[in-house]
Amino acid sequence: MTLHNRAIRALLAGTTLAALALTASSAMAASKIAVITPYLAQPGTQFYVEAFQAAAKGKDWDVNVIDTAGDVAAVISRIEDMVNQNVDAIVINVDPTQVTAGLQAAKDAGIPVIGMDAGADPLLVTNVTSNGYAMAAETATYVADRIHGAGNVVMFVFEAFPPVQVRGVVADAVFGNFPDIKILDHVTPDVSDGGIADSRAKMEAILAANPEPGSIKAVWAAWDQPALGALQAIEAAGRQNEGIVITGIDANPQAREAIATGGNFEATVAQDFKGIGTTTADVVTRVLAAEDIKQGSIYVPTQLITASNAAE
Amino acid sequence: MLTVLRRYGTLIGFAAILIFFWISLPDTFMTARNWLNISQQMSMLIVAAAGMTIVMVMGDFDLSIGSMASLAGIVAAILFSFDYPIWAAVSIALIVGLAGGAVNGLLISFVGILPFVATLATLTMLSGAAFVVSGGKTISGRVIPEAFGNFAREGISLGNWGGVAVSLPNLTIVALIVAVLVWVLLEQTTFGRRLYAIGGNSEAAHLSGVAVRKLKLIAFALTGGSAALAGVMYASRVASANPTQGSGLMLNAIAAVFLGSTLSEHGEPRLLYSIVGVLVLGVLDNGLTQMSVDSNVRQILVGGIIILAVSTSSYTRRLR
Repeated sequence: MTLHNRAIRALLAGTTLAALALTASSAMAASKIAVITPYLAQPGTQFYVEAFQAAAKGKDWDVNVIDTAGDVAAVISRIEDMVNQNVDAIVINVDPTQVTAGLQAAKDAGIPVIGMDAGADPLLVTNVTSNGYAMAAETATYVADRIHGAGNVVMFVFEAFPPVQVRGVVADAVFGNFPDIKILDHVTPDVSDGGIADSRAKMEAILAANPEPGSIKAVWAAWDQPALGALQAIEAAGRQNEGIVITGIDANPQAREAIATGGNFEATVAQDFKGIGTTTADVVTRVLAAEDIKQGSIYVPTQLITASNAAE
Repeated sequence: MLTVLRRYGTLIGFAAILIFFWISLPDTFMTARNWLNISQQMSMLIVAAAGMTIVMVMGDFDLSIGSMASLAGIVAAILFSFDYPIWAAVSIALIVGLAGGAVNGLLISFVGILPFVATLATLTMLSGAAFVVSGGKTISGRVIPEAFGNFAREGISLGNWGGVAVSLPNLTIVALIVAVLVWVLLEQTTFGRRLYAIGGNSEAAHLSGVAVRKLKLIAFALTGGSAALAGVMYASRVASANPTQGSGLMLNAIAAVFLGSTLSEHGEPRLLYSIVGVLVLGVLDNGLTQMSVDSNVRQILVGGIIILAVSTSSYTRRLR
């Protein structure tokens, strides 16, 4: 009886693995590409991984998507496994500075690693992402145009997080080019509660300090949460009809909803997650064709979201 | 023959898995390089599972080791940001682990809370503490000393094997040292034998003069300390610290100890068997990844194998 059970157990494990092996080996001889991420459960990541797989369908690729369920050290382990397997290219979606050990192993083995919205790193061939500078320029110029290049603007910025910090720099440059635009304040909200509540409190204080209608022409926010907080403050103060223009960046669902209703929150910028996936697939094709890619970052165009397209 | 099979069924299953991968991946699986990779990938889990074995010998659990590992990584990283030398930051992180484990021990042996409840509570507290200390952020970049990140990347060179430079990773060496220490502690000392006595029958052990409470306190402290060490190793491997990064260790460590305990005569945890358990998990991860098996399918398979091993083992034991 015991013997029987043990045998069944070993047999079962064996056959399951054998069946899986057959499925896996059916796609041999193609270029082997591994996509490794700890964040597959997150919506943005899902979009670009799916777009990458769709783009890969037309090519002779054997794509292996590996999700480590939030475990960053496991990303290193899986990169090592893939290096050991001698895959043709590895795509990662994780902060490269946290997986340097794996990237070094890939480099030593001569296997190219491409970042898919990962962050720029010398150990990556390149990183495909959205252009933070361009996104900030989109909304800053939108604000400048809407207020006809004149009036007081409140800016919500965040210096501590590099991708958001660059947005503030660009907006400052745009507004600085209009002599009649005055920056009332650079506000850094407390983001520990998500950023909306504290932005609202800060905006309420600014509204109180500037009670004259028209004394605030616009609110430019480096991301959507402060924009939503400012909107709440303006509505709560009953000043929604003064024509204060609000813009954010990122186009999160809450922001899209606010923009679609046609209130003060007028514009935000959406990253093209599918485009990031498709472009990454293109980059992999170029790398496999032995093209030397010179840019450390490859930018995918973003889209300005206003009331006309917010519901899409 | 039958006894051999009963005792070593899991081992035979493990051998079957190895042979299967060896045949399926003839060029890349059974190589020195891959095995050194696996040993490095599993080093943190070996340390965590070794610590878990200490309390599981007494029939107890420690659910808080994952949070403890995260907190220890965060503590070390925060101290780095205050320019503490590496040895000091790591030592303090390990002391935090020992202290946290001792609190578990106090709650369980002196206050008398069930280990499941006590360590579930400390799991939450330690996890919260990791968020508070780090401000919820990942600590990475220039704050982390280069030597700390390099430690996990380097090892002792073993020379060239077939044209490939091979080295014994530092993390593997740390795991081996911990394994030897815990093995000696559990198998070769009175302390270890007493822990097994508590696991066999706590009341009887108490009546025969074993200081059950004191021993439990020490055992939990050691488990906490090894969890902290695993967390520091993790932080070194990713050259950063994040308030949730150790959370995967707890369930895997318990799984490994359970898987290993199917190898022992009476189903009690043994350090060497726990390491076999870790290796089963590690080899499955490594082999199935190399065979391009979908990562979600891989998780189902790993869980299935644990159920199979443990259930057949308990089933055959009942038949005896």
